[in-house]
Amino acid sequence: MSTVAPPAVVLDPRVRGRLVASSDRTRLPSVLGGDLADVGTAPRLLAVAALNEIRAHADGRPPASEVFTEAARLFATATLDGETPREYARRVCHATGLTATAVEQAVTDLTGELRALPATTAAELPATGFGDGFDTRWVPRGRTFAAVMASNHPVPNISWAQALFHGYSVLVKPGSRDPFTPARLLAALTAAGLPPDRAAFLPCSREVGAYLLREADRGIVYGGDSAVATWHQRESVAVRGPGRTKAFLDRAPDDAVIDHLALSASFDGGTRCTNLSAVLTTGPVEEVADRLAERLARLPSLPATDEAATLLVVNRARADGLREQVAALRASLTDHSARAGDPETVVELPDGSFLPRPVVLSADRADHPAVGTELPFPFVVVAPWAEADGVEPLRDSLVLNLLTDREELVEAAVREPSVRKVTRGPVLPWTATPGIPHDDNYTQFLLEPKGVVARR
Amino acid sequence: MSLIDDPEFDSHVVKLMAWHFGAETGSPFWLGKLAGLGFDPVTDVRGLADLTRFPDVSAELRSVPAQDLIPRGLSDRPFRVYDSGGTTGSPKRIVDSGYRSLVTEWARERLIANGVPADGNWLHLGPGGPHVIGFDTARYAALGGGVFYTVDLDPRWVKRLLSQGRGEESEAYVQHLLDQAETILESQEIAVLNTTPPLLEAICARPRLYELVRSGVRAIIWAGTSISRETLTQLDDVFFPAASVVGVYGNSLMGVAPQRSGRPGDAHRCVFEPYPETTRLHLVDEDGTPVAYGERGRVRLHLVSEEMFLPNVLERDTAIRVEPGEGSTVDGLADVQTYRSLDDVAIIEGVY
Repeated sequence: MSTVAPPAVVLDPRVRGRLVASSDRTRLPSVLGGDLADVGTAPRLLAVAALNEIRAHADGRPPASEVFTEAARLFATATLDGETPREYARRVCHATGLTATAVEQAVTDLTGELRALPATTAAELPATGFGDGFDTRWVPRGRTFAAVMASNHPVPNISWAQALFHGYSVLVKPGSRDPFTPARLLAALTAAGLPPDRAAFLPCSREVGAYLLREADRGIVYGGDSAVATWHQRESVAVRGPGRTKAFLDRAPDDAVIDHLALSASFDGGTRCTNLSAVLTTGPVEEVADRLAERLARLPSLPATDEAATLLVVNRARADGLREQVAALRASLTDHSARAGDPETVVELPDGSFLPRPVVLSADRADHPAVGTELPFPFVVVAPWAEADGVEPLRDSLVLNLLTDREELVEAAVREPSVRKVTRGPVLPWTATPGIPHDDNYTQFLLEPKGVVARR
Repeated sequence: MSLIDDPEFDSHVVKLMAWHFGAETGSPFWLGKLAGLGFDPVTDVRGLADLTRFPDVSAELRSVPAQDLIPRGLSDRPFRVYDSGGTTGSPKRIVDSGYRSLVTEWARERLIANGVPADGNWLHLGPGGPHVIGFDTARYAALGGGVFYTVDLDPRWVKRLLSQGRGEESEAYVQHLLDQAETILESQEIAVLNTTPPLLEAICARPRLYELVRSGVRAIIWAGTSISRETLTQLDDVFFPAASVVGVYGNSLMGVAPQRSGRPGDAHRCVFEPYPETTRLHLVDEDGTPVAYGERGRVRLHLVSEEMFLPNVLERDTAIRVEPGEGSTVDGLADVQTYRSLDDVAIIEGVY
């Protein structure tokens, strides 16, 4: 309990640049205990009013692309709404439990993606000039866009910035633990010249978020299974649920392979949807799981603000929830982390936060229900794979990492609709360049082709 | 924090103990309870403070034959049965002959003091049938000589749809209700709209309907569910700045507690007060002790009327206790919210 809590930060909804001091308030807890911020929330009527205003001013015209490069610079370097880059990082650390290193990396990645928006657009759209007055224009599929964000990581906020880039007017429901990133990103965009009419920032309940998703022309929702379940069938909503990223291991588990799997599972504290959740192996399950557990057990338990920290921390309430949830899983499967000398699910740190330790378990069959369980910290289930299992256990993967030379299986995985991305060899799951889709072609989700034929 | 010293209500309580527990006048329900009480209400209950000695019988109202609730002393009068909403399980039943009519006369004066027009036509976009609010609203309209319009609304069907995750069907039902309201508002002159906060939200999300309400209706009365502070601000200042927006807290058991007139220095936009002749609403902590002014407590009802006796009923709502104003004998309630134990959602999965 060494850290003295600074005065609570106050955040409020913002509609077309106007701050709305809401009478409805909620407290944002810090991982260190106590409250980090006092957040004004938007009840449904405020969301109705905001949507009406935003819709009335939406014209579908994209802002100048310089707005986004300048916003990237400001996001990383400027004091925005009185918040320095350093204070922003501290808030996100204490609200989400991400390490200082992870937040620094996230700022680099998010601003990098902002700068790459023109390149991403070019890479995700086919050429459109057919000569002789035949042209295809890519235009927004609607005017308004709703983003229902999660709090696990700052970078997904690029999704609504991308909608703005293409000319949408945007309503953002921030994640309950990280309202800071969208608030700062919107402030940076506005300071860089985005017309204030284009956006609303609306901390709100899940129900109000659902209202925004139903009403907006397009939208995106991030969250766990229960948060995204109702949106799968709706064509206007892009769903970003649990990633259930898996690796298929068909070679000897030497140090290089184990290091690769451990980093895939634990990078950014295991908070990404692309962090590894399951390993299917043709080799000895016990040995793979033991070695992975040993490797992950070496990661130190440090406060998030320590430069050497790599693992996520949480507050006491979340820690209690995770402990209970993981206890049931540890009891029903073989617990390799306990064998590796890491039997505690959560350890309390001197600064008052709680650190979930990496957990490696093994199952005795590929179709065990625990395979694919995704938790917000390094949590991996290792299971056996045999020829007869085929591609089935590899399904439902945001990223599938194939460490094999079985070309037939690779081809089947690439053609499997529920596998969203395939990596081969020691490639980290999130590795990408503009044009490599995270999950389908997001630019074409936002834009549609329209024929324009001209004759003189 | 003690209760308000109120000798008049104490003597009212004493008088009605003799009525409800008199062999010739009491109801079969209460007379049947007498032996098991462990005290004699007629001699031992000296006032309001003693009402907490009674058990909370409200759960029995789900199954007791309603006939047994009618005091024998009133057996020559016609009664009808009203239901509670049925939010939790089977509905609770009350009996009413003339009492609700008295209360609505009193409540109407309160509404008028808050800017509700004394005359003009009413549209009730809320439940009717077994729900007493339909009766109350029709009576407000009649007392002012206005015409009463309504649509069929089955709140239990909506609750069932929502509890089964059938949100789209419930949304379709709401739109069906609003279609009918729009039809009425298009050709009929409506001065007062009586409805619920969720339906008001849905009205505001439909531009044509919203415009009809905004431009035509002079007062909007909301009741039936809780409302957030900011929602009230939005209704008053953003959506209906020219109309009077007035709240009524109530349910079948307690009756109605309309919003009282605002006073300088009020910390809340909307403060409710119950019918002082028969009703006390106390806000209590987990031990049943009244909370201090400005603090939140759970609502405990004592209803002492000639037709019904409902002491010591713990409601599903909480509210902030507000000091009674000049000349008032009852505490006010502000920021009513549904009581729920803190349900921190377990983190099931990591995301995005």
